[in-house]
Amino acid sequence: MTATLERTSASGTAGRLVVGGLVSGALLAVLAATALTAQEAVPGIAVPGPLVEYGLPALRVLLDLAAVAVVGLSLLPRMLGFDDPGRTEPVMRRARPAAVTLAWAWALLALVVIVFQTAQLNPGSIPTPAMIAEYVDSVGAGQGMLFSAACALAYAGIGLLAVRFGEKVPAELRIVIAFFGLLPIPVTGHAVDSVWHDPIMISMELHVMGAAAWTGGLLVIVLLVSGDRELLARTLPRFSRLATLALALVSLSGLVNGLVTMALTPGVELPGALAGTHYGLLVVAKAASVALLIPFAAHIRFRLLPRIAARRGTAVVAWAAAEIAVMGLAYGAAVALTTASMS
Amino acid sequence: MRRPLTVLLLACAALLGVAAPAQAHNVLIASDPKDGARLATGPQKITLTFDQPVRQGFAQISVTGPDGTRWEEGKTTVDGRKVGVAVRPLGPAGRYVAGYRILSSDGHPVAGKVTFTLTAPGPGTASSQGAPRDPASPPDAPATPGLSAQAAEAAQNGGAGMAVLWIAGALVLLGGATVVALRRTGDGGAPR
Repeated sequence: MTATLERTSASGTAGRLVVGGLVSGALLAVLAATALTAQEAVPGIAVPGPLVEYGLPALRVLLDLAAVAVVGLSLLPRMLGFDDPGRTEPVMRRARPAAVTLAWAWALLALVVIVFQTAQLNPGSIPTPAMIAEYVDSVGAGQGMLFSAACALAYAGIGLLAVRFGEKVPAELRIVIAFFGLLPIPVTGHAVDSVWHDPIMISMELHVMGAAAWTGGLLVIVLLVSGDRELLARTLPRFSRLATLALALVSLSGLVNGLVTMALTPGVELPGALAGTHYGLLVVAKAASVALLIPFAAHIRFRLLPRIAARRGTAVVAWAAAEIAVMGLAYGAAVALTTASMS
Repeated sequence: MRRPLTVLLLACAALLGVAAPAQAHNVLIASDPKDGARLATGPQKITLTFDQPVRQGFAQISVTGPDGTRWEEGKTTVDGRKVGVAVRPLGPAGRYVAGYRILSSDGHPVAGKVTFTLTAPGPGTASSQGAPRDPASPPDAPATPGLSAQAAEAAQNGGAGMAVLWIAGALVLLGGATVVALRRTGDGGAPR
């Protein structure tokens, strides 16, 4: 009993630290990147106010983080395994309601983002329902957000069933809906109008899914599993394989996307544009954060994992918290990248 | 892990249909007059050419003269990749800035400017609205696109009707899956 209490309180403090690191890292990065990449004022053209200019990317990044957490919570049953419900059920009982709450947050954020996107297009006026309807009607970005919100709501519904019926509601269904809701979001970002359009879109979707599985998986393991050494010893090796795959996928698809998109944009010359354009600088920043993640990931994988497998205590929470904070920075840069200018 | 992976790949394949409208930020590739041009007589029209078609509506061009005076006339028109606005006869010699803000084909607004210099004074005088504008005042209403252009664009990206259809389809799919999952629960014995 004492041990349980200790465990909960310890993971509570660490949890706040981890979530705080992720959210503040992401918000900090996206606000800094937005300030740095702000387009210079054009005489005679009205621009949206600071509330929209900074509020929209901040909301976008919060939406991404909510979606990432939902993906992580959906992957959790697969990572925990189903053969020892006595041990995994307490964890899942905390995870399922959290997933429903976060899915609602995701859906609401997506709807608010639509309102902000409308306001961004109509500077100087407060969006009316008619303007929002026109925006969703005419702009693909609005439809993508709406689709994402619908998926999040559907997830909330399925999640409620899972709260009631437990793992009888298939984990795969929740995973698929969570990823499905994630997919339309990058569609609203950069891509190139050429024969390379479809390969780039596929690569972009893989990038988003890989990043969400990696960040979300690590997040839920640190928050919900790290307090139980036995469970951690069983779960982390499974996640480690997923993370290695995600690392390769994310870095490769990210590089391909960034470089090909730049190479195919008229008037953009590589490699000079990497340092000379906002888009290029953000691609470099994201590559740097992935490079920064590698030592953390490698330390956990090669130094800590053997000790965790031996059921010994480690500082894995601290290392993972640092890794998650860097992931937050990368997410912030990613949101800024979707709107960054090429020239 | 194989089964969810297969489902995921299928989901991806299904989504590519939806992903089609995604395109890039428009990039300004040419302008008339050119950026940095030195002109003896003022242009009658500013035309900006982008690398991809510009969306109808939302496009806006302004021409600002040496003292913050305004010289564009009428509404901004969009014709495929070209965006233009008529210009009144220019007045004093000096630097003029044609600022623009358009809705990129990927849904993000793109803003920028083209600068040119008038070397000899023209006959025009600044309009009544030419005083430096209060930055907080709302922009000129964007040009209303022709009906056919609107229809063409709606057809191009499917319109909200398609989005509603997709959402409805997804909900039906999810509902069906939920029913199946619940039936399996029933077969597998009482949940409690």
